[in-house]
Amino acid sequence: MRRHAPLLLALLLAAATFALALRHVPLRADIADFLPVAQTEESAFLLRELRGGAGTRLLVAGIEGAAEAELARLSRAMADGLRASGLFALVANGPPQPADAEAALLFARRYALSPATTPEAFTEPALRAALETVLDGLRSSAEPLVRRYGFADPTGAFPALLRGWTQEHRIALRDGVWMADGPRALLLMETRAGGMDPDAQAAAAEAARAAFAAAAPAGGARLLLSGPGVFAAAAAEAIRADVRLVSILSATLVAAFLLWRYRSPLLLGAVALPVLLGALAGLLAVQAAFGHVHGAAFGFGMTMLGVAADYPIVVVAHRAPGETARDAARRVWPTLRLAVATSVAGLTPMLASGFPGLAQLGLFAGAGLLAAALAARLLLPALLPAAPPALRPLPGWSLAVVAGLGARRRFVPWLLAGVAVALLIAGAPRLERDIAALSPVPEALRDLDGTLRGQVGAPDVRLVLSVTAPDAEGALAAAERAAAALLAAGAATVLDHPARWLPSAATQRARLDALPDAATLAARLDAARAGLPFRAGAFAPFLEDVAAARAAGPLTPDALAEAPLLAARLAPLLRPENGAWRALLLPEGARDLAALRAAAAVVPGLLIVDIKAETEAMLDAGIAAALRWGAAGAALVLALLLAGRGRAGPRLALVPAGALLLAFAALHLLGERISVFHLTAALLLAGVGMDYALFMSRMTQEDAAEDARALGAVVTCMVTTLLTFGLLALCRTPVLHAMGLTVCLGVAAAFLLACALAPPRPAPR
Amino acid sequence: MRRRALLAAALLPAAPARAQDLLAQVMAALAATPESRAAFVEEKELPELDRPLVARGVLAWRAPDRLEKRTTEPFQERLLVEGDRLLLERPDRGTRQETPLDAAPEIRPLVEAIRATLAGDAATLAAHHEASAAGTPARWRITLVPRSARVRAAVQRITLEGEHGRLLVVETQGRDGRSRLSATPLP
Repeated sequence: MRRHAPLLLALLLAAATFALALRHVPLRADIADFLPVAQTEESAFLLRELRGGAGTRLLVAGIEGAAEAELARLSRAMADGLRASGLFALVANGPPQPADAEAALLFARRYALSPATTPEAFTEPALRAALETVLDGLRSSAEPLVRRYGFADPTGAFPALLRGWTQEHRIALRDGVWMADGPRALLLMETRAGGMDPDAQAAAAEAARAAFAAAAPAGGARLLLSGPGVFAAAAAEAIRADVRLVSILSATLVAAFLLWRYRSPLLLGAVALPVLLGALAGLLAVQAAFGHVHGAAFGFGMTMLGVAADYPIVVVAHRAPGETARDAARRVWPTLRLAVATSVAGLTPMLASGFPGLAQLGLFAGAGLLAAALAARLLLPALLPAAPPALRPLPGWSLAVVAGLGARRRFVPWLLAGVAVALLIAGAPRLERDIAALSPVPEALRDLDGTLRGQVGAPDVRLVLSVTAPDAEGALAAAERAAAALLAAGAATVLDHPARWLPSAATQRARLDALPDAATLAARLDAARAGLPFRAGAFAPFLEDVAAARAAGPLTPDALAEAPLLAARLAPLLRPENGAWRALLLPEGARDLAALRAAAAVVPGLLIVDIKAETEAMLDAGIAAALRWGAAGAALVLALLLAGRGRAGPRLALVPAGALLLAFAALHLLGERISVFHLTAALLLAGVGMDYALFMSRMTQEDAAEDARALGAVVTCMVTTLLTFGLLALCRTPVLHAMGLTVCLGVAAAFLLACALAPPRPAPR
Repeated sequence: MRRRALLAAALLPAAPARAQDLLAQVMAALAATPESRAAFVEEKELPELDRPLVARGVLAWRAPDRLEKRTTEPFQERLLVEGDRLLLERPDRGTRQETPLDAAPEIRPLVEAIRATLAGDAATLAAHHEASAAGTPARWRITLVPRSARVRAAVQRITLEGEHGRLLVVETQGRDGRSRLSATPLP
């Protein structure tokens, strides 16, 4: 036992450090990390929206599982709690109900804000008609309402203002709160913190759960919650769960296999150590460079375990009888070194790719492979006892199969050429263009999000128009011009834009200028009153308010402290950005994109972003970039091979190249849509294929025993890799599934090709 | 002497409860009237006007929750409350406005003042108003004070008068105007 102590101690230490690091490294699941750097203004806008736009700050909650009255009570209690928390710019569970202070402010500013403020509305005939309407209203059953506003606002400027605000999708109300079928009470929350702040988003989601719990839900009432914080947590959890399951399963299977082959738990531990150290190095390197680890990079790094395991396996398997582990490591090192160098070279271009996600993948894998190889070369021999037990030999038939493959090597180029031609005829591979399919967020949660958003009337925004100006006033004025042009051309039926909530100062001033002065208005009002039962002073509030509105001037975006509801509605549509101001216009019912573009041409600088088309273009660009960087990596690998192996290099390169070809042909047959994840997996696969080719090339005709050891090492490597990646292919998380399947198919192909293309030799004993 | 003491003991706690008893009796009588029709005259006095406004029409009630006020003078108007729905129709103008009562928290108490009374639904009435009763079951008066401060800013008090299960007068005291609706039961 004593001679095992150093290895056991090192294993324990590495495992504990890894577990500790995993607990403290924040995992992120932002799909935008896997999108390329924006090339056009449209894609730059879209990227900003995906990463931190209004949509990323929106939480939607549903409460269900109880009677309507209880749901309504919970909705109100939860909304009160969330409003008090201060975390949210907007908490809505029913129609906008401005608080008294805000209602008073809006009422005072109604002539500037209301579209009903026109010169015609203040002529004597129009005033006469307005007074008759007021009198009529006083006679009717609506008298309490009419009395409340009629004498201050006989022309109806305030109701017209509110009507302009409520052209939105209507949600059914029960007990004063939004209620969808089910019944399900609905709440909409907008966080103050940006969508880029994962901690704040998680805190907001937690606050929503706490507010629900504090409302003391009775019976079976339960909370459904959706939003960026919930998504991130769920995605991280899904990836963690997938990785946990796969690591346990594959570790068990790999361990069983290695135990059978090595006949020694000691050697098993020796294989695990470099793997653990590699994973730890990858995790820490990415954490140090980026401050967080993307969930996909983490998953990728964990799959790398199966590849990093190759290095210690190769060292142990190449030990000749009577040789020390140290000597074996020294003897294999030149080949091992070249294998690691080519793998890392293949990954290096990803670091420069400019995708944060891809750079993380490259760094994680590169650092991990280097650390594992160094551990296999330097640490492992020191920790192994001088004379470990001999390996169990592979069954003789396996060697015969390999020899049989080698005899048919002349068919390999034909096979590869045939597959290549078939792929060309089959057309371009199907690319994954739906960004949602790449998301690690579980599908059930994405469906829930879609349902909740649909019920709460937050539209699935497909088309966004945007315009920037040096100041808020310019942006508002541009939005007004654009909205007028679009609606006039019939390019959209409904249009939400910031000036709908707060008109530009110029528009407000024009309205105020249209109001008659105090003396003129009083004279017209007196004339309009003739013959009606109103007393002389009845409309004094009206005269006072008009004079006050003229004196007060326009309401500007910086003076909305008293109007939180208006400010909250305005914020997503009008915001400062890089020293300028951006206004967003969200059209509904825009069927004809060409008509929309034609109408939009009236406003210079108006940007039309077709979200779906733009996202697809970006994903395509992402794949194209990954291909470019992959090609750069391949060139590097080839250069290294030529330097290391001279003229045999190109033949070695045929193994990973052929494996890639066969893997993608198989993916095509399986109907997989190719995403950027398949391509990153291809990089790893190429590295693995390279290793096989290199180690098989160690077979010489001179030493049959050494040949058997070389083959045994590669077979062992392949089986462990298949056991790891084969399980990954069963994962639900799209990124893990894509990589598992690709590597699995490719590794099998690479092994067969490496066998077929190994140097010819006599049949084994 | 001892008998009088017992009597007093029996009566004393009952004294505050008597108003509640009366309210309960009136409510029971109203609840026993599932359907009624009455001609009404409504007179509004508003400080902004130099003469009262008068309207006439028919008031129709049907349990459990349908109340219709059909005005015939000075113009045709139909106000219908049924369930959670408030409908205001002006045929002469072709307008028709439907509002869920839930979306109009400031109107609901005014509607329930009459509807919950006609239904004899003391719980709903008490949810929106502080109610007190005076008189006798044969000739009673119920005074309602809205619980909501926002509603109270517009309507301070509603007084309902009636005989047995019939509502005869609704008097609304507003901020500085008042209206009086007198109903004459129709067969």
